[in-house]
Amino acid sequence: MQPGHRSNAKLSLAIPQTATATERCQPAIQVSNLSIVFDTHHGQLIAVDRVSFDVPHGEFVCIVGPSGCGKSTVLNTIAGLEEPFEGEILVEGLPVHRPRPDVGMVFQQPHLFPWKSVRRNIAHGPRMLGKSAQQANAIADDLIAIVGLKRFADAFPNTLSGGMQQRVAIARALANQPRVLLMDEPFGALDAQTRAVMQDNLLELRNRIKATIVFVTHDIDEAIVLADRVLIMSAGPGRILRQLNVELPRPRSNAILLEPAYLALKKDCLDVIRAEGLRAFRQSDEA
Amino acid sequence: MALDEALTADQGDGRVRARRDAGRLQRLNILIGALSVPAFVLLWELVARSGIVNIVLFPPPSVVAVAIFEWMRSGQFFLDLTASLYRVTTGFTVGAALGIFLGIMTGQFPVVSSLLSPLFHILRPIPPIAFVPIVILWFGLSETGKLFLVVWGVFFTVWLSTHIGVQKVDRGLIRAALMLGTPRRQMLQEIIMLGALPYIVVGLRTAVSISFYTLVAAELAGTFAGIVYRIEIAQQNLQTGQVMGGLAALGLISFAADRMFAAFAERTVWWR
Ligand SMILES: Nc1ncnc2c1ncn2[C@@H]1O[C@H](COP(=O)(O)OP(=O)(O)OP(=O)(O)O)[C@@H](O)[C@H]1O
Ligand SMILES: [Mg+2]
Repeated sequence: MQPGHRSNAKLSLAIPQTATATERCQPAIQVSNLSIVFDTHHGQLIAVDRVSFDVPHGEFVCIVGPSGCGKSTVLNTIAGLEEPFEGEILVEGLPVHRPRPDVGMVFQQPHLFPWKSVRRNIAHGPRMLGKSAQQANAIADDLIAIVGLKRFADAFPNTLSGGMQQRVAIARALANQPRVLLMDEPFGALDAQTRAVMQDNLLELRNRIKATIVFVTHDIDEAIVLADRVLIMSAGPGRILRQLNVELPRPRSNAILLEPAYLALKKDCLDVIRAEGLRAFRQSDEA
Repeated sequence: MALDEALTADQGDGRVRARRDAGRLQRLNILIGALSVPAFVLLWELVARSGIVNIVLFPPPSVVAVAIFEWMRSGQFFLDLTASLYRVTTGFTVGAALGIFLGIMTGQFPVVSSLLSPLFHILRPIPPIAFVPIVILWFGLSETGKLFLVVWGVFFTVWLSTHIGVQKVDRGLIRAALMLGTPRRQMLQEIIMLGALPYIVVGLRTAVSISFYTLVAAELAGTFAGIVYRIEIAQQNLQTGQVMGGLAALGLISFAADRMFAAFAERTVWWR
């Protein structure tokens, strides 16, 4: 993610880029009629209510919605960390029941292994998939260069800033060359400045990898800057209220935040969210 | 302009003075710390020789030193030391190994936990010393009995801290590892074990001092060599100098063991 023009030959070679026959006729992710119910002390809680959406190959989708609306739950289910209560999820045409190496995830907290150096954190995935230590380290070193942490390859997580840790987490998720990358508010814990830099870095990184990306956030600006398409979710139980195509030119950067086309899109989003907020408020008032 | 400079100069001066004061205070503290033990020994010597107390029951440090010297010169000290250290180290090693193994099993597998945890929670609060009578009946004065007591004391502490440590491993780390395709075996060997390590190490360190408590009980129960055994014999012969020498030796050994373990712990969980 360094703003240089470093070669990424090895990495892009490793990730298949030519569309196969199956890719052309089916989306990367299909979520159909997904409902998720949790058993709590006060009975059953419907966290996600009949959510359906598709994500075509290579698309960058952002899911926005208020806190507690079930964004993380949807993402965890796509990741195979949570079982659907109802409905089905297909990734690359195959149903998801458990975590799969072709699906990578970046969490809100970096969750780096504190006893491993940056290089060994990133090499962990390839090692687990049976690569030799040498191969895994080579993959890690490529990614370290891409996320601009060459000087910190042998550093340990507790010596890195939050932004750097999250870059390591992104590199670690990419090390297994996932076809789908899930990101759950990855920049939520960062300050505004670092977040803007990380967004630009991610946009640049996105041109180098061809993974399909689902990115969860509750920051509308972040969603519009990053996404090809924004899904707006309602307050719990989570449903999809609206989908907006973001037809802003690429390559993008944080600079578009001031452009009229951007502001019009943001207004659309805010209108949807405000109407939903009012509805939820009235409903809770009556109840 | 001039005022400005004067102000900054003054500020700089103040800071230097503050630093100098802090340095002086620190040196003073080190000096006092170095004098603490000698001052105590001197006071002890004076009180013991002053006639206020019975010198036979409360011998001065000089008499204790002579007793320790005699103990060492006779070669008996070395035998006692090895006997005691052997009991502590083997008991600690066996108890800790069992505790870590079963702690990981009960922490990780609910079935094992349902089977063993209730039993362990009932047995754990019984002070190991209370087992001395039954141990004498079962094992007589043999080394096995001594080992049993130390193992018993060490095991429960290490088991509990390992069990808790395994359960407290950051769920986020486990999820991240799952997403990276970590198989079950590696998950247990790497992520769970290392994630629980800070807790395990705390348990082990507590167990170091527990192993010395149980050593005392084990040797008082009857044996033929050992530091505590020597203390008991000296007490029966009213050799109070030897008794106090034994206490000092025991204190020094367990202090050294604790320090060594603290250094080891710092190195094992350095990422903390
Ligand atoms: N393991 C669980 N057990 C019970 N309830 C849960 C569990 N996980 C989530 N929930 C509930 O499901 C709902 C959705 O949670 P989720 O974490 O998906 O929200 P979110 O949209 O990601 O919120 P945020 O923006 O704060 O991260 C919440 O009401 C939450 O309390
Ligand atoms: Mg969330």
